[in-house]
Amino acid sequence: MSLLTIVDVEALWRTTWTAAVAGVGICLVFTFAVLGLTRSSDMRRDDRPALAVLYGLLAAAGMLGTLAGVIYGVALITT
Amino acid sequence: MESDIILVIVVVTALGFDFTNGFHDTANVVATGISTRALPPKLAVTLAAILNFVGAFLSLEVAATVAKDIVNPAAVTMTIVFAGLIGAIVWNLITWYYGLPSSSSHALIGGLVGAAFVAEGADSIIGAGLVGRVMVPAVIAPILAFLVAGISIVLIYRIVGRLRPGPVNRGFRVGQWASSGLLALSHGTNDAQKTMGIITLALVAHGSIDADNFEVPGWVVFASASAIALGTYSGGWRIIRTMGSRIIKMDPAQGFAAQGAGAAAILAASHSGFPLSTTHTISGAVMGSGAAKRLSAVRWGVAGNMVIAWVLTVPAAATISAATYGLTTLFGDGAVGPLVVSLVALAGLLSVFLRRVRRGPALTAAEI
Repeated sequence: MSLLTIVDVEALWRTTWTAAVAGVGICLVFTFAVLGLTRSSDMRRDDRPALAVLYGLLAAAGMLGTLAGVIYGVALITT
Repeated sequence: MESDIILVIVVVTALGFDFTNGFHDTANVVATGISTRALPPKLAVTLAAILNFVGAFLSLEVAATVAKDIVNPAAVTMTIVFAGLIGAIVWNLITWYYGLPSSSSHALIGGLVGAAFVAEGADSIIGAGLVGRVMVPAVIAPILAFLVAGISIVLIYRIVGRLRPGPVNRGFRVGQWASSGLLALSHGTNDAQKTMGIITLALVAHGSIDADNFEVPGWVVFASASAIALGTYSGGWRIIRTMGSRIIKMDPAQGFAAQGAGAAAILAASHSGFPLSTTHTISGAVMGSGAAKRLSAVRWGVAGNMVIAWVLTVPAAATISAATYGLTTLFGDGAVGPLVVSLVALAGLLSVFLRRVRRGPALTAAEI
C-alpha cells in the first residue's frame, strides 16, 4: 500500500491551495487598505486632494475586500 | 448502571481534556495580538474565549474523522476511550512541565491508538486514516503556515516597507483584531471537535449511538465548546503576567501575517476534516513571519524542541494510554478501574500543576 493510495490527495491539495490563496490573499488585500489609508493621509497633508481621494478609494476597496474574504471563508466552512 | 458510570467518567475526562487544551493553547492564540499591542490582554483573552466557543459550532468534519477514521468504532470500548484520554492528558502535562510546545491533538490520537492496540490488536486501528488523515496533514500544515506567513510578510514589506511606520503599524494593529479573531475561531473549530469526536466514540461504545449511522449530539457540541472556551479564558491570565518578558519583538505586520496564515491553514484543514495540531500550525506561522524578516529572529532551539516533541508525542501518548488500559483492566471490566485511575490521575495532575506553577511558565508559540 503506497502513501498515495491512503492519503486523500485531492482533499489535501484543495486544503493546501485554499489555505495558501486565502492566507496570502487576505494579507495582500488588507495591505492595500493600509497603503491606501497611509498614502491618502500623506496626500491630504501635501494638499493633493485628487490623489488623496484615489488612495482613499484604494483603502476602502482593501477594507471591503478583506471583510468579504473573511465572511466568504467562514461561510464556506459552515456549509 | 456500571456502563453509565464509566460513560460519565469518560465524558468528564474528555471535557477536562478539552479544558486543558484551551488552557494550554491560549498563549498561542492571544500572544501575537498582545505582544504587538494590537489588543489589550484582558480583551484578547475574552475575545479568544468567545470565538473559541463560536468556532466549535462551525463544522463537524474533524469530529467525524476522530470518531470514525482512526480506530474502528465497532471495536472501541469506553475503557479504551478513557485510557486514551488519560494517556493524552498525562503526556500534555509532561510536555507542559518541561516547556515543550507539543500538540494536544497528536497526544489524543496517540492515546486512542495505543489503548485500542493493546485492547483489540492492530486490526482495530485504521492505518490509512491514521496516516492519511492525521500524520501527513500534520507534517504539511506547519510547513504550509510557515511558507504562507513568510510569503505574506515579504509582500507586505514590499508594498508598505517605505511608508511612515506609525500609520502602517496602526493599520496592521486594526487588522490584528480580525486576524486574532479568525485564529481563535479556527482554534475552536479544529480543537473542540476532537473532544466531540472522542465523546461520540464513547457514546457509540456505550450503545447510545449507532456505530453505522451516527452523528454528534447537540449537547456534545455545546459541552465541548463551553469547556474549550472556559479553558482559554482561564489559561490566558497566567500568560498575561509573563507577556512582557519573554516574547520576541514582532511588529504588527508580522503579527497580522502570522495570525492570518495560521487561521487560513487551520480553517481550510477543518473544512476537509483534518485534525491538525493547532499549536504546531500557529508556531509554524510565527516562525515564518520571523524568518522572512531575519533568520536569527527565530529561536531555532525552541523550533528544534517542537520537532522533538512532534516525533515523540504519538508513541509516548500511545505507550502511556496502553499502560493506563492495562492498569484499568486490573480492576475488571466495571467502573472501579476508571474511577481509581481517574482519582490517581487527578492527584498526580494537581501535584505536577502546583510544582510547575512554582517554577514559572513555559514557552509559548509567540516566543519562537
